[in-house]
Amino acid sequence: MQWVETETTVRFNEVDEWGMAWYGHYMAWFEVGRMALLGRFDLMPKQIVELGYVAPVIHLECDFKHPAACGDKIIIRTTAIKPETASLIFKFQIRLKESATLLAQGETTQVLLTTDKKMIYRLSGELEKRINRLIDFCRKD
Amino acid sequence: MVQASKEIINNTTALCDFLKTMIIDTLKLEEIAADDIETDAPLFKEGLGLDSIDALELVVAIENIFGVIIEDEDVGKKAFASVDALAKFIQENYGEGE
Repeated sequence: MQWVETETTVRFNEVDEWGMAWYGHYMAWFEVGRMALLGRFDLMPKQIVELGYVAPVIHLECDFKHPAACGDKIIIRTTAIKPETASLIFKFQIRLKESATLLAQGETTQVLLTTDKKMIYRLSGELEKRINRLIDFCRKD
Repeated sequence: MVQASKEIINNTTALCDFLKTMIIDTLKLEEIAADDIETDAPLFKEGLGLDSIDALELVVAIENIFGVIIEDEDVGKKAFASVDALAKFIQENYGEGE
């Protein structure tokens, strides 16, 4: 499985009163990872809209394994898998850059709607092509 | 995946029974028996209470078993109106892709 890696630093405003990165910020880091991956395949949100679709997240899960502190350099790792249904699943890992310690891992599921909010049950056309390119890339060893 | 014979597809009552079992198996509705699903009740929201992800899974099952394609929510609204409506939709569209 191929993962795209993005580096960022835990900022002062991202830690809670206990000095640990607040759990909600991991979702924002997932989003950074997702954009880094989608950008390579012309699937950025604006480009999906240009094709006539939106892709809302309808499921999210996350396990927190280890805390991160202010100033920690972290690596956001992202990959995608294609389920049998017309949806997109992204998997995420967040690790400390220095030790590769796993901080959190999670997953999101997105469905596809037309821009007038009708859900599509099968992928087709240019959207399917781009998604298949993304999935083929992620599938590589 | 279980295949549906032409005899079942042409017999609306048998097809409805087949679809009820298919829905339970596909969506792993462990607490529901085929007899609990009313043939003319809506599958979504106020009826069986299925949601949009369930629809995606049913679409794949129906395509695999019957070769019948439900393209999007517009078609789905008609096809998933009830078990009876789904049976009729399959009977009308079966074999079109062959």
